[in-house]
Amino acid sequence: MSFRLKAYQKWLTMPEPEWQNVHYPKIDFQSISYYSAPKPKQKLASMDEVDPELLRTFEKLGVPMHERAALAGVAVDVIFDSVSVATTYKEKLAEVGIIFCSISEAVQNHPELIQKYLGSVVPVGDNYFAALNSAVFTDGSFCFIPKGVKCPMDLSTYFRINTEGSGQFERTLIIAEEGSSVCYLEGCTAPRFDTNQLHAAVVELIALDNADIKYSTVQNWYAGDENGVGGIYNFVTKRGLAKGVNSRISWTQVETGSAITWKYPSCILRGDNSVGEFYSVAVTNNYQQADTGTKMIHLGKNTRSTIVSKGISAGHSNSSYRGLVRITPTAEGARNYSQCDSMLIGDQCGAHTFPYIQVHNSSAVVEHEASTSKIGEDQLFYFSQRNIDAEEAVSMIINGFCKDVFQQLPMEFAVEATKLLSFKLEGSVG
Amino acid sequence: MSDLTNTDYLEYLLKSLSIKSTESLSWLNQLRAQAIDRVSTQKLPTRRDEEWRFTDISPLTHLPYQPSKLECNLHAHDIEHLTLKEAKNRLVFVDGHYSQDLSTISDSAALVIGNLPAFVATHASILESHVGQYVQFDNNVFAALNTAFLRDGALIIVPKDIAISEPIHLLFIATQNEVTSYPRCLLIGEAGSNVTLIEDYVALQQATYITNSVTEISLAANAHAKHIRIQRESAQAFHLANCGVSLAHASNYQSVSISLGSHISRYNLDVRLTDEAAECVIDGLTLISDRQLADTHTCIDHMKPKGTSRQQHKCIVNDAAHAVFNGKIIVRPHAQRTNSSQSSRNLLLSKTAQVDTKPQLEIFADDVKCAHGATVGQLDEEEIFYLESRGLSPEVARNLLTFAFGAEIISRIPVSSLRQQLEQAVLNQTQSS
Repeated sequence: MSFRLKAYQKWLTMPEPEWQNVHYPKIDFQSISYYSAPKPKQKLASMDEVDPELLRTFEKLGVPMHERAALAGVAVDVIFDSVSVATTYKEKLAEVGIIFCSISEAVQNHPELIQKYLGSVVPVGDNYFAALNSAVFTDGSFCFIPKGVKCPMDLSTYFRINTEGSGQFERTLIIAEEGSSVCYLEGCTAPRFDTNQLHAAVVELIALDNADIKYSTVQNWYAGDENGVGGIYNFVTKRGLAKGVNSRISWTQVETGSAITWKYPSCILRGDNSVGEFYSVAVTNNYQQADTGTKMIHLGKNTRSTIVSKGISAGHSNSSYRGLVRITPTAEGARNYSQCDSMLIGDQCGAHTFPYIQVHNSSAVVEHEASTSKIGEDQLFYFSQRNIDAEEAVSMIINGFCKDVFQQLPMEFAVEATKLLSFKLEGSVG
Repeated sequence: MSDLTNTDYLEYLLKSLSIKSTESLSWLNQLRAQAIDRVSTQKLPTRRDEEWRFTDISPLTHLPYQPSKLECNLHAHDIEHLTLKEAKNRLVFVDGHYSQDLSTISDSAALVIGNLPAFVATHASILESHVGQYVQFDNNVFAALNTAFLRDGALIIVPKDIAISEPIHLLFIATQNEVTSYPRCLLIGEAGSNVTLIEDYVALQQATYITNSVTEISLAANAHAKHIRIQRESAQAFHLANCGVSLAHASNYQSVSISLGSHISRYNLDVRLTDEAAECVIDGLTLISDRQLADTHTCIDHMKPKGTSRQQHKCIVNDAAHAVFNGKIIVRPHAQRTNSSQSSRNLLLSKTAQVDTKPQLEIFADDVKCAHGATVGQLDEEEIFYLESRGLSPEVARNLLTFAFGAEIISRIPVSSLRQQLEQAVLNQTQSS
């Protein structure tokens, strides 16, 4: 509780961030300001109630009780009945000592772990939305992998926003102890509403010595209609701390939904020889805006990071890659490779790249590459020669374009992502 | 740095601005008045401003240097070592003031060349339509200051279809300690003209001073210009420069900028491709050591279709120096068939050296080819080993590789005597390290 109060105090003192708008076209600035008006009001209404207990917060936020089950629920895939799957898995996982439950349960059952790690990667006052999340977070998942355990199955969480006008603030905390490994999947969807909704999540990953965390997201929040009305504002803080030596954190994300996505899954590579990876595909259509990228902060010796980012913009959308690679003076022999490619479909869309490279150590090697192009006429012609229509051809070309990233996804997710992509770009060609 | 000292600094500078004589025409006075107006509403940038994120210029606020005085004790033999034998036309400015005795003009029949005030009356309309047009001072406090203090400046107008084969040398010499100079330069290339311009900033002694320069270049259809810019100020100096270039239909602009001197330097280069099929090639080299800070911001704005731009920027950073590069490429909506490439390569020679690079693409058109790349690293051990196996000492091998890294940019300079001077300067610097 004191954690929340502290966060709330902090949040009140913080100005809303505006730095990211500096680079934005005008339209974006306006839309961001627009959303900010209703949001704090809604939050403040719930803030008065936040102290007594979690339950009332839920109701005030408009997340119904049954939704909570879904929030904390576990499912391998969307099709499965979340509740039943959750139970079976929990038991199985408990056999090998893995704790996998909702974060509210964890607060009650494993307070020592929560106290030790919650907020240790994303401090309470880290940024505007993280502070907001820390103050009001409703639920989320908690996962603890003990020493030397390889998680026998992929863990998965499925988030859904059901109620109109609600915001969702979930928090995920994953701790991998020495020598353990885990593969975690996250899926998000929301039905369509005309009002804008806010999703401000915080995800914290902690990898100790030789631990391996792989975190995959397929995000398909409601993106608004063709005219850009409605949709989710997805402002997420995701950060992994590779604390131990030889630890490894890998982010994979497929961003197809949300009216505005603003998200930078980051890795702090503190342990020597630790590895950070970031694979991303962001697809925007109509009036969607995505500003996504990563931060790789190299602190330990011989740390390595790889960034592969693919952006596809269609319609009137804008997508940006904004990445930071910082090599601190202590990071001897650090290595980074970044590649970000953008593809443009239609002449009203934009693709932007803002790589920040800060090198404070001469033994570091940092490379960055980026390119922007559209689908070649020749390529389309080749497909049409083989009797494949334009739409299908485009979807095939795009899947090829994104192959590097999809390979990182588990099988089921990769299939889903491929489908999502072609569905997303339907009607944008021709 | 508090806001108080910040505004005080600007006010102090403005106070030192003497009332201008009435010799110049009213539009120029109006321009100055506007600029003064803008200065008073702006603040000095701090690291909170995105454009100045990596460059802290707060030391400047402790140095409210007065504008330089008009006193020139230099003789031709003092600057002999700085002259270039290829250049038949040379304009010399001492602390921002034009020096007629030191300058040589041999092509006054073919082109308009000289000190700006001399042409204010005769070329009023053409000057009015160009001065202050390419470096806007609305959001740029240093450009506004320069315009407010605008007095002397180099003016070159190359008439239609005239090609000047020899380079034009603009020599800006700093001699006084603790002053600010405000050099200004305007190049107008009329349709089909061709010219090579060398902008050269030098110091005769190690002094502390501020140079705040503005250069404006306008090229009409099919005009070609090569622009070479050498910044070799004293190691205690502050150098703040803005350059704005406007390119018309099928014009071609090639720029090589070399940054060697100054304690803190900042160079903003803005190139606007305002019509179809314009081309620009921009190369830059920063070579710094000790505690120097060199910041280069470039912006290439493709406003119309079929433009081409190629950019390469290299930094060699030694000791505790800090190099910053921010290269922005904008492709506006409808600027289809733009072809643009950019590369930023950085070489760190010591453990405490720092590089912040940000190659940035903003693309709003789909039928384009744009690529950028950035690398930061040290010398390749295998390359050094290869040279060592050929009998070179490790030190010589390192120097050779460092020199080769920088020489690629220097080799683009079309003036051989200048090239040699610079190669020597680079050699000196690499060998001392």
